[in-house]
Amino acid sequence: MDFVFKNKRIGGILTILPKKVVKFEEEMGNYSFSPAKCMKLKLAMGYKEHRIAEPGQCSSDFCKFGLQYLFDNDLLKKEEIDALLFVSQSADYYMPPTSNIIHGHFELKHDCLCMDINQGCAGFELGLIQAFMLLEQPSINKVILMNADVLSPKVSDRDRNSKPLIGDAASITIVEKSDDDSTIYANIKMDGTGAFALNIPAGGFRMPSTSETSVMEQDDAGNYRSKDNLVMQGDDVFNFVQREVPPMIEHLLEQADVQKEDVDWYMFHQPNKFMLNKLADKLGVPREKMPANIVENFGNASGVTVPTCISFNLGEQLTDKTMKLCMAGFGVGLTWSSIYMKMGNLLFNNIVEF
Amino acid sequence: MEELIEKIAEILEVEEVDVNKKFTDYEEWDSLCGLSLIAMLDSDYNMTMKNKDILAFNSIKEFCEAVIK
Repeated sequence: MDFVFKNKRIGGILTILPKKVVKFEEEMGNYSFSPAKCMKLKLAMGYKEHRIAEPGQCSSDFCKFGLQYLFDNDLLKKEEIDALLFVSQSADYYMPPTSNIIHGHFELKHDCLCMDINQGCAGFELGLIQAFMLLEQPSINKVILMNADVLSPKVSDRDRNSKPLIGDAASITIVEKSDDDSTIYANIKMDGTGAFALNIPAGGFRMPSTSETSVMEQDDAGNYRSKDNLVMQGDDVFNFVQREVPPMIEHLLEQADVQKEDVDWYMFHQPNKFMLNKLADKLGVPREKMPANIVENFGNASGVTVPTCISFNLGEQLTDKTMKLCMAGFGVGLTWSSIYMKMGNLLFNNIVEF
Repeated sequence: MEELIEKIAEILEVEEVDVNKKFTDYEEWDSLCGLSLIAMLDSDYNMTMKNKDILAFNSIKEFCEAVIK
């Protein structure tokens, strides 16, 4: 499904990372792999260290910290916020929505739309598309898009498929109306038949968490996890990404009438370095144009990896220059989505620690 | 066929591959080899296979024949 938008822009991106750094070597003793094989895994997948929230830190806490930082530094005014989107798979509660909790924490105005969206790896793109759609309304001039996930507590320590790559983080993106009428091209696709390629079996209404769902079980590859833990079918996800993402990007750039080499940066979701490099090769894009350094430095925090990638790799460059960016996210759902747009003159584009 | 066998040897990190063996007969075989093999099939042979498809072959020879056919 294709989308086009005009007169909208990204005003600023703030990425909020936990202070706690955990190195791959500290955890590899938990995996049923010899140290030599662990080092091979580290090298192949590009694992080094990742950021993990402290017990008790929820995804909303990172959002609150980031918003407070923006208010304190005069980068955002409370009364300007017309919509507050919270895109996450780790909400504070079943009810109320986390966006409403954050709204209440800052006592924001009542003329404000709060919305929680359950989305993962494509959460930045889906959130932006939603924000752009809201901005079509005369009454909405500024949307605050919060992407946040603290999923590390849901990943088994003895799961070498998922533990070394998971990261916790949040990002706050200001999305607003603009005089610039250059077109923003976007698309999104879904395949619910693959809904369980990435999932947490227990803890919802279908299978409530009990003492039974917390029992650790071994899989064929020697990983231990319980029904309360996140589980990923690695081969299915790899095949899905290699099959679906390249044609989606080809289509997006065709719509935008842009050549691959004219795109300045490919800012893609980062499951691990291995998968991203394979994707760049298949797409015929130089690996240097598709940074793959987020998982090794911070971990994969689902929808937060794309904004983190922009903050970490482009930082202040984007506060004066304008660049042509192709962004893409793909994963849980299954969902895959991409956006081509110009980005620049940001008020801020940096990382803070909480 | 020889080229494919060479690639398998590279993934398994062994000098020579006994095609009558199964992948799992090699103690070098692990989930990472599985993913490397899936990625190699995708990029070099434009072919999609799942982990369990690979493990279902009775020998590496059978696997190669299925890829090359």
